[in-house]
Amino acid sequence: MFNLRDWGADLWDRSNKFTRILISVSAIGVAASLPFLGGTFLNTPVAEYESVLVFPIAIFVIMALGLNIVIGKSGLLDLGYVAFFAIGAYTMGLLGTKTNLNSWEILPIGIAMAMFAGLILGVPALRLRGDYLAIITLGFGEIVRITALNLNAIGGANGIVGIPTPPTIFGLEYTFDNHRLYYWTFLIIILLTIWMIRRLSVRRGGRAWESIRQDEDAAELMGVPTFRYKIWAFVLGASVGGAAGVLYASKTLFISPDNFTLQVSILILACVIFGGMGNIWGVILGAVILGYLPDRIRFLSDARLLVFGIVLVLMMNLRPDGVLPRKKREKVLPKKDLK
Amino acid sequence: MLIALGYTMVYGVLRMINFANSEIFMFGTFAAIIVIRDVFNFTQQSEPATGVRLIFILVCALIGSMLLSGIISILLELVAYRRLRNRGANKLAPLISAIGMSIVFAEFVRIITDSRYVGSPRVMEKKSLATFFGGDIRLDNTIVIIAGLILYIILQQFVQRTRLGKAIRAVSMNEEASKLMGVNLNAVISGTFLIGGLMTGAAGFFYILKYENTVFSIGFELGIAAFTAAILGGIGNIKGAFYGGISLGLLETYASFFLGTQWKAVTVFLVLVIVLYFRPNGVFGEAITQTRA
Amino acid sequence: MNNVILSLENVTMQFGGVVALNDVSFEIRKQEILGLIGPNGAGKTTVFNVITGVYQLTKGDILFQGESIQGDKRYRITNKGIARTFQNIRLWGDMTALENVVTATDTHKKSGLLSGLFGLPVSRKEEKRDKVRAQEILDFIGIGEYADRLAKNLPYGVQRRLEIARALGTNPKLLLLDEPAAGFNPAEKVELAETIRKIRDAGYTVLLIEHDMSLVMGVSDRVVVIDFGQKIADDLPAKVQNDKRVVEAYLGVPDDAS
Repeated sequence: MFNLRDWGADLWDRSNKFTRILISVSAIGVAASLPFLGGTFLNTPVAEYESVLVFPIAIFVIMALGLNIVIGKSGLLDLGYVAFFAIGAYTMGLLGTKTNLNSWEILPIGIAMAMFAGLILGVPALRLRGDYLAIITLGFGEIVRITALNLNAIGGANGIVGIPTPPTIFGLEYTFDNHRLYYWTFLIIILLTIWMIRRLSVRRGGRAWESIRQDEDAAELMGVPTFRYKIWAFVLGASVGGAAGVLYASKTLFISPDNFTLQVSILILACVIFGGMGNIWGVILGAVILGYLPDRIRFLSDARLLVFGIVLVLMMNLRPDGVLPRKKREKVLPKKDLK
Repeated sequence: MLIALGYTMVYGVLRMINFANSEIFMFGTFAAIIVIRDVFNFTQQSEPATGVRLIFILVCALIGSMLLSGIISILLELVAYRRLRNRGANKLAPLISAIGMSIVFAEFVRIITDSRYVGSPRVMEKKSLATFFGGDIRLDNTIVIIAGLILYIILQQFVQRTRLGKAIRAVSMNEEASKLMGVNLNAVISGTFLIGGLMTGAAGFFYILKYENTVFSIGFELGIAAFTAAILGGIGNIKGAFYGGISLGLLETYASFFLGTQWKAVTVFLVLVIVLYFRPNGVFGEAITQTRA
Repeated sequence: MNNVILSLENVTMQFGGVVALNDVSFEIRKQEILGLIGPNGAGKTTVFNVITGVYQLTKGDILFQGESIQGDKRYRITNKGIARTFQNIRLWGDMTALENVVTATDTHKKSGLLSGLFGLPVSRKEEKRDKVRAQEILDFIGIGEYADRLAKNLPYGVQRRLEIARALGTNPKLLLLDEPAAGFNPAEKVELAETIRKIRDAGYTVLLIEHDMSLVMGVSDRVVVIDFGQKIADDLPAKVQNDKRVVEAYLGVPDDAS
């Protein structure tokens, strides 16, 4: 049976360096030219096509990549991922409106805050497994939202307005409706994230996470310091979520606790599940489809959450490995080292 | 607290938490309202019932709740869990499936009720039976406690004495051995879900009796509370669930009092995290972090 | 004294009301093959679990190379040099055979996540070195050709041997084998015995749980017998076979012998 992912993987393996560069560049080129497809059948009735590309699609992709590390690779069920997103966004919101720092300076701070949160949540939570971990993380997500809602010092129910856009770059201005520029910026971040994840997965990190996902007890008895690596997965996932949050805030220029509900965590979870756990390309595809469809198909938008729930159940029953199932999963051994 | 009991039971018996149990509870509450309002045609203006008629109505509502919850519970097992059990591969699959079903249930009801609260007409006078240290002993509270106790005792007896009950215990302790001994695993698990559903449905009825309204998200709100109580007290342990429920109630009250109701959830969560940090098993519980090797 | 690699000293393991191990003491000497036998449920796997840190001792101590490992975290114990296989196979099914073994070698690497991220030379060197070593281990055990096949797709016999290979990946000084011959036919058992001897000759020490008497007696230098959580014999195979208590433990006391 034709397996798209394996075909792609084989093609990549068989190519030499030149072909690989060619493939990568074309892929990036295709992705970069997506904004130009506005005005075609790809139009979305609910919001402007190019705006949708930026949010939710691009942001979802970033978050899905982050959550993928936690759930897809390591098998840790995190239902409160929106918390890190919120922390990043609020960092941008607060520092952006109250200090002179610009987005690029705030980005590392936002990431650091999210990582810190990941650490303090992870240490107690990761001693638990399965459902308990799920509930605790869900609780954390809600707590962050409730705190934002009730803490008037950071905006309370009204949120934060007037968040500055990123600084002008090469003469190009990040105005609110300059969706393309935002999109290309986010695309670069996505590529960076993919690069980071692939590098980590191909060595000890990836192996440790896979072994934890498949049989944590056996992993520990084979010398894998499981707790440490679980924390790492959590913290790295949080960092990506935080980055997404900072970017999101610098685009929408207004955030409120309503943006960071449990629903968002579930949505991103659905992206990861739908695309294929652990599989970067599948996850990206999942985020793209699930980010795009509800805006395209009107009635879906209202029943969005219901549909996502159904997606979760169906996927688990029919195709637990996702839309792009992996016969051989992501490599955790760099092939070229042995040549 | 009852919900915590329900959770603990299903978990303690099945060694498997049913994430969607809170939605089953939600269905229980709606069932009770439907019985009271539609079957017996009670409205806001109706006279409260008394005596035998009251008992009859209450029992019907109770049975209604239990039935609906029980049936949905079995359906849930069939749809969301059974296939995955037989596949066995992915650890996370049953859990994610449960989460999905939970969402489907809640959203389904939300769309039907248009996100609104649904109220139950008062079916009986909540008169005070006596005073005790300045606290009222109300009729409805008493009914809930007594009925709860009765149900609990029935459940205990069932699990100890009947064949199915013993089978359930056997499966929870050692699934492989039970299968080898000829236990029909599917039947037992369905049975467990059914019983769990019945109990949870009863909890739904009790809730309506006391609070008289419900909403599609009640499962989620109370479910978190129940889960927290269960973890605080210690999973798998009835005593733990009991104390957990009480501690949680106390905690919430104090938190509301000192900090204001909006910080209730945050405080509870923080306490939970701290408790877990020092005692990963909950205060009374058996290890949920213990490994099998 | 110096050639003792592991010693259990008055180890008692109690779970609630059940005493799984009762004051068990014995030693394992370097480069010997020690067989651990006993009727079903006697506590043999519990011994493994106690040594590898899965259970915390109720009483007593365990010394590995002179140092107490009581209370150590499991991955530390493995890192110090004790590795095990499992009675029911617990391989990482979605990884290849080679990847299973390489993951086991990771415990001794100096490079961690960050050096991997930045592709530091130490990380690359270690990757290469361990990958080569992993392949060597697979060859040594005789399953080198299966290196790139997914573990879950391997035939049963190969999986059992992969379990051993993986444990060897952690570069242990002491190897605990839990019923490695389960499900093997006689020819495979002979091969396994050969492999175990080969492992010992390569410098490892082996503690072996097995039910097949001829296999255990044939390959072990010494044998320890456990019954109802207590040690009832600790001697050369020939002597143990004739020990009255051992025979009774397995066959039961005849009715007229009171």
